Amino acid sequence: MVTYVIRRVIQAIPILIGIAIISFLIVHLAPGSPIDKFRTPRVSTEQLNNLIRMYGLDKSIPEQFLSWISSFFQVWKTDNQGHFIAWGFSFTDGRPILEKVVERIPATMLLMGTALATTVVIAIPVGVLAAVKQYSIADKVITVLATVGYALPSYWLGIMLLYIFAIDLNLFPLYGMHTLGGSDDLPDLAWHMVLPVASLTIQSVAGWSRYMRASMLEVMRQDYIRTARAKGLPPSRVITKHALRNALIPIVTLLGLTIPTLLSGAVITEAIFGWPGLGNMGYQAVIDRDYPLVLAFVMIGGAMVILGNLIADILYAVVDPRIKY
Amino acid sequence: MDSTVNPTLAHRDDAEIDEVDLTPVRTYWQMVRRRFLQNRLAVVAFILLAVMIALAIIVPTVTGDAYQKTSLLNPNGSPTTTAPLGYDDIGENTFLRLMKALQTSLFIGFAAVSIIFVVGVSIGSIAGYFGGWIDNVLMRLVDVVLSLPSLFLIIMLVAFFGTGNAWVIIFAIGLTSWTTAARLVRAAFLSLREADFVQAARALGAGRFRIITRHMLPSALAPILVACTLGVADSVVTEAALSFLGFGISPPEASLGNMMTNAINFMVRQPMLIIYPGVTLILIVLAASFLGDGLRDALDPRQRVEG
Repeated sequence: MVTYVIRRVIQAIPILIGIAIISFLIVHLAPGSPIDKFRTPRVSTEQLNNLIRMYGLDKSIPEQFLSWISSFFQVWKTDNQGHFIAWGFSFTDGRPILEKVVERIPATMLLMGTALATTVVIAIPVGVLAAVKQYSIADKVITVLATVGYALPSYWLGIMLLYIFAIDLNLFPLYGMHTLGGSDDLPDLAWHMVLPVASLTIQSVAGWSRYMRASMLEVMRQDYIRTARAKGLPPSRVITKHALRNALIPIVTLLGLTIPTLLSGAVITEAIFGWPGLGNMGYQAVIDRDYPLVLAFVMIGGAMVILGNLIADILYAVVDPRIKY
Repeated sequence: MDSTVNPTLAHRDDAEIDEVDLTPVRTYWQMVRRRFLQNRLAVVAFILLAVMIALAIIVPTVTGDAYQKTSLLNPNGSPTTTAPLGYDDIGENTFLRLMKALQTSLFIGFAAVSIIFVVGVSIGSIAGYFGGWIDNVLMRLVDVVLSLPSLFLIIMLVAFFGTGNAWVIIFAIGLTSWTTAARLVRAAFLSLREADFVQAARALGAGRFRIITRHMLPSALAPILVACTLGVADSVVTEAALSFLGFGISPPEASLGNMMTNAINFMVRQPMLIIYPGVTLILIVLAASFLGDGLRDALDPRQRVEG
């Protein structure tokens, strides 16, 4: 198991380098130059040339790439004022990228973690119910709701929730994480979280409950379920003890794949609800053409996908003793 | 289904050799059509999509630029015979805009899927056919693209290379979403590579290109077709998301995304303006997903999932 994990981590390195090359090239091919915003009539050509030299823009593209990627992995490096310099500095406010990213993580993790928890809590019983009572009215209603929930685009759902609950009924706040000038206490935070969490949950419950239902149906067909029934176990015990535990195995994989989004966040949902998380920051970075921040965001996103696949495979082996690495 | 299997073949012996089996032989595609038509939901989805495509082609072609015609004397006008859905905030004919938007969005969807198809099938079939180091290199490329945060990358590409340009959107979606298709084709090719009919084609002296395109691809197409159906819906949704974030097709051109985004401002007074494009979008997604399910069941009965 340990050797397997080590091997997977080593395999991830070329993928990360590939991601770095692609994102670096995209930023490089983008029209315009990073120093364009300094081009005002009052700035002389000489000063611009100095800037180009200072940022290393006069070097060849491979050289620029190497200097960026080598500093990118030296996360621990700080300058003499104690700022982290590894990921460079933001074009918009000049602050170190690493610090900007780190301070956004709690908000994103809180939002995504809560959404994931509510998803699991709702989707598993719903999926089990739909499977156990296959073809019943409940199953059909769940199927229809799940299909519609899956088809709803996230921003449409978010806007509708905002419209109905924040504007029309005025029940929840429109924007952000805390009331401006208000107290930062827990009820206020929870009040701000309701709509974004609902928006994320409605979508993922649709998918998760379908998975759960399919997985449960698959297990219910197995011989050992028939055996359990035949030896006279009460149906509730068959479902919870024998079927559910096995049906959860594929769900655990799904969980592993989802965990990284806890960090990289949901760009659209965070943008709609003005949630001060990483996703929103990435979106702002694209608008501002804050290239170092954009690159950092792509790298984090890529690393999280790789990590998710690894976690999924490890969890799979943990919950299913038949699987050995 | 059973009628398609010739029951006499299984235990044919000399005594029975005179009995001629009269069950009509059905080709694969005839069986596919039969199975598909039995799935009512998929047929309805197919008809719905066909109607939407027809409307999206015919209405804007006939009415031309009328969807851009504003009339400030008639903002938020009520429905008439020429404008069955009324007018929007600057007096544009909502129905004509909706049809034009449908055309733009479907065009983006189908064009993006064409890129997904071409790139995915080329890379998948080359990797699957040749195997070895070529396969290894191409699959690492797939791993890299698969690990990229795709929505963010699309936003990035569109924002940097041409906000509001339909072709940039199409390429951004196409170039980030071909990996599933490539993996499906590769998997099919790996199992087909040693199949008897491929060996036979090779023995007859067919070239590599001919073997790949004429012999192997048709057998590997089924899963791709399903993936492409779903891809159209995904691309339409992505375009709308881009519009919402401010990078999509911009007015006076119409797309489902910019109609919805524009309608947000008038949501309180004119909620129907956001409902029409929203419902159209949801219908596209639903129809594509039911059609995809139906196609999967029809093309490959072994894959059928119960329920």
